[in-house]
Amino acid sequence: MKKSEICVIVSIVIFIFSLAYITSLGGLGYLPPVDVRKLAQIYLSSTYNPFEPTNTSSGYESVTAIVWDFRGLDTFFETAVFYGAIIASIAVYRGVSISTKKKPIGMSPIAKTITRLSTVLIPTVAASIAFHGHLTPGGGFQAGSVATVVIVLIVMVFGLRKVILKGLTKPKILLLRSLGLVGIGLTAIGLVLAGLVIGVNAYIFQNQAKPIAHISYPMWIDDILVGGSLLLFNLFEFVAVMAGFALVLMLFSIEEEEVRKVIK
Amino acid sequence: MEFPIIVASVIVVSLYVNLGIALYGIFARPSLVKKLLAITILSDTANAFAVLVGYRWPRTGTPQPPVLMNTTNYNESIKYYVEHAVDPLPQALVLTAIVIGLAVTLFIAFIIIQYYRLHGTVDVRKTKALSR
Repeated sequence: MKKSEICVIVSIVIFIFSLAYITSLGGLGYLPPVDVRKLAQIYLSSTYNPFEPTNTSSGYESVTAIVWDFRGLDTFFETAVFYGAIIASIAVYRGVSISTKKKPIGMSPIAKTITRLSTVLIPTVAASIAFHGHLTPGGGFQAGSVATVVIVLIVMVFGLRKVILKGLTKPKILLLRSLGLVGIGLTAIGLVLAGLVIGVNAYIFQNQAKPIAHISYPMWIDDILVGGSLLLFNLFEFVAVMAGFALVLMLFSIEEEEVRKVIK
Repeated sequence: MEFPIIVASVIVVSLYVNLGIALYGIFARPSLVKKLLAITILSDTANAFAVLVGYRWPRTGTPQPPVLMNTTNYNESIKYYVEHAVDPLPQALVLTAIVIGLAVTLFIAFIIIQYYRLHGTVDVRKTKALSR
């Protein structure tokens, strides 16, 4: 082992011990603690609280309530970061085209049959996660990631050219992704637009009525808790994440020679 | 010491070991692919640490996930929920961090593949020698 490597290892060990010491000084105390912090108590008590209608979100699931209601603007910008990375990845492959003249290469009939079954099962699970995001653990991000799996599976088993021949082209996925993002934007300003029409105040990213903004998304439809804007955000994020990841992973599977044509 | 504290201490120590391995991978390994793997280990360690900090072990009963499950008597169930559910905020932050992390990892992977196509290697020492 070289001297420089030993130096690096010793520095890292010293750093880790210092970090551990500083973290223990920072008041973390014994883990796990008995109580959660005050902020968490406020989030938990107002996730669904019919006794405080102006403070409540509208789902049973606290994580989704925080992600899309209490800290909705954070998530909006996090989605922007996510798409920054996706757009940058697409830009790296700019100009790369896929020739559909060659015969599609796929896997064995067994793999194809299993994949055909999975193309029904996996999107069903994904849709269930997205639709129940405000009631059970899950939501748009998780559902989108699950649904991406099926697209990757199809690309791997049937071949990228077959997928493109069937009509799942780059512009269509980009359109799907844009629809998801426009949906998120419109849901965020939905109540503001509705408030302008009927002449009441409303906030951006408002879900339920606030003291000076008496307008809300429907929390219940009949006897089903729909979660107001949470359901819409989850659905649009599901579409956006699925399309974003599907596009990037499809670009990943482009043949080497096709990419090499554009690299000078 | 109680059992949950011992378990949490073991997890904290293993997370610090993970952190050390990740930092070693980032600083000392010359291969860009290994650096990328180390970055993913680092981000996962940070996420796991955030979730652990938000965990709790209430005085009575067992910890509950941050989902309101009993919806019959809201007055009672919300009180029980606040006393037993774990902190949902780190989970919310980690949820978005994982998805964004995956997108950024994919982007870095794209860059590394292009780097390999241009230079024929992912070893940073060799490309340094090339640029001289």
